[in-house]
Amino acid sequence: MTPVTANAPKPSKTKKAPEPAVALPGGYAGKLLRVDLTTRKCWAEPWGSRMRELLGGAGLGAMLLYRETAKRGGKGNVAWDDPDNRLVLATGPLAGLPVWGTGGLTVCTIGAGTNGPTSTQANGFFGTNLKYSGWDAIVVQGQARDWVYLYINDDTVELRDAKFLVGKDTWETQDALCRVTGLAGHQLSVYSIGPAGEHLVRFAAIQGDYGHVASKNGTGAVMGKKRLKAVAIVRGTKALRAVDPRGVLQAADDIAHDLRTDPSARSLYEYGTLPGVGNLSKLGVLPIRNYTTNLTANVPGADMADWEAPRLRANFDHRGHQCNACGMHHCHMSVIQKGAHKGRIVDEPEYEGWSGCGWQIGAVDRDGIAWLATECDRACVDVNEFGWITGWVMECMEKGYITRAQLGFDLTWGDIPGAGRLLRMISRREGFGAVLAEGVKRAAEQLGSPAKDCAVYIVKGATPRGHDHRGRWDEMLDTCTSSTATMETGNPVHPTEVGQPARINIFDGVQVAKNVAGLAGRRSFEDSLGICIFTTRTRLENVCRALGAATGWTFTVDEAIRFGRRTAAINRATALRCGHAGALEYPSVRYGSTPVDGPAKGQAVRDQWETMLDTWYAEVGYDRKTGKPWPKTLKALGLDWLARDLWGKKA
Amino acid sequence: MRVLAIHPEKCTGCLRCELACSYVQTGEFQPAKSVIRVSPFEGHTSYAPYTCTQCAEGWCMTACPVGAITINAAGAKDVLDDRCVGCKLCTIACPYGTMFYDPGTRKAFKCNLCGGAPACAEACPTAAITYEETWTGDWLGDFAHERTARILEIR
Amino acid sequence: MAQRHLIIGGGTAGINAIRTIREEERERSEIALVAAERPYSRMVLPYYLDRSIAESHVYTATPRVLADWGVTSRIGRRATALDTQAGVCTLDDGTTLEYDDCLIATGSSAVRAPVPGADGRAVHSFWTLEEARAVLAGIRPRSHVVLVGAGFIAFTILNSILSLGARLTIVEVAPRILPRMIDDTGAGLVARWLADHGVTVRTGVTLTRIEDAKGGKRLVFASGAPLACDLVIMATGITTNLEWLQGSGVGVNRGVVVDEHLRSSVPSVYAAGDVAEGRDRISGEAAVHAIEPTAQEHGRVAGANMAGKDVRYRGSVLINIVEVCHLDVASFGAWDDPKAEAASGLMADRPAYRKLLWRGDRLTGAIILGPSSDIWTTNDVGMLKGLVQSGVALGRFKAHLMAQPFDVKPAFIASRTTSRLLDETILGRPAKAPGDTPVAV
Repeated sequence: MTPVTANAPKPSKTKKAPEPAVALPGGYAGKLLRVDLTTRKCWAEPWGSRMRELLGGAGLGAMLLYRETAKRGGKGNVAWDDPDNRLVLATGPLAGLPVWGTGGLTVCTIGAGTNGPTSTQANGFFGTNLKYSGWDAIVVQGQARDWVYLYINDDTVELRDAKFLVGKDTWETQDALCRVTGLAGHQLSVYSIGPAGEHLVRFAAIQGDYGHVASKNGTGAVMGKKRLKAVAIVRGTKALRAVDPRGVLQAADDIAHDLRTDPSARSLYEYGTLPGVGNLSKLGVLPIRNYTTNLTANVPGADMADWEAPRLRANFDHRGHQCNACGMHHCHMSVIQKGAHKGRIVDEPEYEGWSGCGWQIGAVDRDGIAWLATECDRACVDVNEFGWITGWVMECMEKGYITRAQLGFDLTWGDIPGAGRLLRMISRREGFGAVLAEGVKRAAEQLGSPAKDCAVYIVKGATPRGHDHRGRWDEMLDTCTSSTATMETGNPVHPTEVGQPARINIFDGVQVAKNVAGLAGRRSFEDSLGICIFTTRTRLENVCRALGAATGWTFTVDEAIRFGRRTAAINRATALRCGHAGALEYPSVRYGSTPVDGPAKGQAVRDQWETMLDTWYAEVGYDRKTGKPWPKTLKALGLDWLARDLWGKKA
Repeated sequence: MRVLAIHPEKCTGCLRCELACSYVQTGEFQPAKSVIRVSPFEGHTSYAPYTCTQCAEGWCMTACPVGAITINAAGAKDVLDDRCVGCKLCTIACPYGTMFYDPGTRKAFKCNLCGGAPACAEACPTAAITYEETWTGDWLGDFAHERTARILEIR
Repeated sequence: MAQRHLIIGGGTAGINAIRTIREEERERSEIALVAAERPYSRMVLPYYLDRSIAESHVYTATPRVLADWGVTSRIGRRATALDTQAGVCTLDDGTTLEYDDCLIATGSSAVRAPVPGADGRAVHSFWTLEEARAVLAGIRPRSHVVLVGAGFIAFTILNSILSLGARLTIVEVAPRILPRMIDDTGAGLVARWLADHGVTVRTGVTLTRIEDAKGGKRLVFASGAPLACDLVIMATGITTNLEWLQGSGVGVNRGVVVDEHLRSSVPSVYAAGDVAEGRDRISGEAAVHAIEPTAQEHGRVAGANMAGKDVRYRGSVLINIVEVCHLDVASFGAWDDPKAEAASGLMADRPAYRKLLWRGDRLTGAIILGPSSDIWTTNDVGMLKGLVQSGVALGRFKAHLMAQPFDVKPAFIASRTTSRLLDETILGRPAKAPGDTPVAV
């Protein structure tokens, strides 16, 4: 295999005006790394003049997708499996700096789940290693003939033969790449796909650095389609300049102080997302047995005392495993102390793992759940959708909608070894696993009612995070209206800072919709900085201050929100091009059903859904009928060009 | 004297110490220039920072042919840039692997305890690095000995 | 206790001995220094050659320092005879110095290949300051310089010659470069690296004569085309400065044979540095280690013992490092022990190379190559030295290092090598900073 270098000439067909020479803001490495797998060329693209407009991460990715995945003169869009699809692996201006949680990776692509745009975040050390190697983002296009992996060591950029990695799970892949490069630990950041990505499972994820997952919308299938097994980045030797390094450290300290002491962030600081299980179960938001109940007592063997965060963690021999510069006690590695997997190192499951591989499938064996959740990461399967699909299969078998003959074995509630077997079948598309590998929505539609009516999904093709959103309507609305196949607005963080009420009636559809619309922008902004969504749970003003100190820009909270809304509008335009009309913005029958027990019993979201959509559209300034942002909305965001693209002369 | 005490069981491998160290030592964030370095044990779990112990022998200092390494007010062995010629003898004399060389400046560099206010200890969010009045010691040996058992089994 | 110390030789060993005597003695003694040249550091001459330091920077013990130390110095003089019975040293000007004890630290000298023309115009050695001055005066930008010999000494000045803008060719009689510093694989990597950096290397060629030609020089070989150039540097080896000791009664083998106190067969005579045949710490056998760190340790141990202390030396570790166009090349201990068990790893793309040599579960030698900018190379350079020096039993980590020679750190740390090393000092006490003097002891 002939290695290519970062200095290879740009392919002649992409002729563009040369990048104007500009003084780079601080915080950036300065170049995008372009990789064409078809031609096996890699080249550097300066982008200094666009940094303030696009920031990085989600903002950069949204624009690249909009500009580069159009078809038929902008009337259509390339599909997820088209070689012309782009896979954007982007960091942002804060990545690699000593602000907590800045290992940032945001993956933007046309995803396999919805066949529409996505923006999904992971952490670890991807962004750090990439930026210290001199690159702000990797933009992959084309499709390799044989399996390759991308190796980056400062200015050395090579596509290398990955045959020896095929079939390996994501942890084995990282182990193997450490071995062949002679590097260990953080010296090498590896983001890769496991068998699920290789077999184009629609909800395959990209997993990296032992436990960090860009999980939404089948990014792993895109990588698999491109035959890109892994991206391996050596911890580079270059320097990152901050315009005001003391300011960066001071803003980081202020953010850290908030995270440590603010009541809204403190438990996250102490225990990550572990307290979610106990807290959400009290709100009816913990999904139990595929939305058939909201009572923890209905799961045999469940003792909620075991699920208090300190005891949950203490069940394992645990070690901190944080992302770049992070002081949270969030990501951990655990060693299983007993049972079938005694001695195994696992990634301490997030709340999402405890729900997806646990409660949602009727399992409460903490050792088994931890093992299964890690197996999902290793296979590169989104743990949420795995939960939705496994719980659905379990319920369907119980009800006789799926038979033993179809599946090949009996799968009952709480059967962790069985779920592991299902995971292997899905990851390799074996037997009935091939049907399930298409994701909940497609599998459910293939089987039809009554099985279909038991499945949890969004009609668009995405699936919710690991909650029972029938008790959390804001997330359901956000997930259904999102252009990125996962929450686009995110949970409220210091909502009063952007003029939103401190609390609302969570079962009043109008209040919920106004709140979701009013909070829009923040998440897309954060996702553009190369920082974790958990370490930005501080006042946005602090985040802006860190950004300003790094880059030298004066970035106000207003500008941050406008930036985020601009990003959302651009993603919306791409989503529309992908055929994501308003008719798809609905929960499935089960997802939008009414809880039969528990704290949210009787709260019927479907009754208010149309009102919620109307309200949300009006509030964000999008057209309910066409789904398009109104021209005046776009112009107010400074997106006059997009208004012309979407509305033509009407703009 | 005050030394950098390392508490490996508290380290989460966030590498913030490396960023802070490189900033104080070079003015930029550049972990490649950090003189404290976090290494993994047990493959990809347990981590611990490793840096100069300011050992009694001062192998770097005694090896230097031009007297460019001295002891600063904080008691740390410190490189005098205007004396150092960049011959690298110190990097090979130090048996701990904590002498470094910068091809850009053509100087050796090492932990100088930031002159008495070590940036790594300040930056560590979990107090895995503290600056205290105590005997220096092999802070990591026992920890690593126990934790690495697993990596040996796995690999 | 000796009241009159005589130090013969003003290099690293001698200067270290002087300061150590002053630090360790209980009562002020008399110290006389005989040195052929003003004391300077040979290690830094390559940096004088590339003009990154001024000539004033190369001197170690200046007259001022020697005066502060209360040393009676006879600079520019050589010792020609030693009467160990009488305790008298004769110098080359016929004068004599009496001593109670003395240190032989006369070092070594460069030798040139014995071919016609080897002593001609524009043919230099690079060993002393005076020779360095001559080379510096002779090189112009775009000069073509030929280095005869591809050993460690040649490689120490390679970067300097290139940075002066000269074109460089290396010729070596052996079939490969760095024959006494690294193995074949490592040498191959360095050879390719040199080619990539525009340095021509001709190995396996026997120089037969050097001629004048058209204002330049021409090198003629036993076979192959002759080589025209502007300047020749002979780096064809060094020899120990021992001849003057004939008849002194001091026991000499390859060097002055010394015991663990650095004392020769004559109790009042010590020897240190290039001229001493001490103990190799790894093999335990007698060896001459003509390297700077050995000279420094020898000098300090000898000085302490001359000052009345009882300091035993555990032997020296052979260590060498040279930077070749930003590629670090280093070897330690018994790196070429044919009886050792060996494992190696090559990452040609970085480029990086490791070879580890074992006796049982102890690392006895190592070779390491890697880019100077590679943050793990320098780390592992030191750790490999620490493993060889401490002789720590690596137990279960041996298999790990055999399989993963690049993953040194966990093995080093988990074997508790740090705690083994922390107790060790050369003089049994913490070292003292150089302060206003050129050496730390």
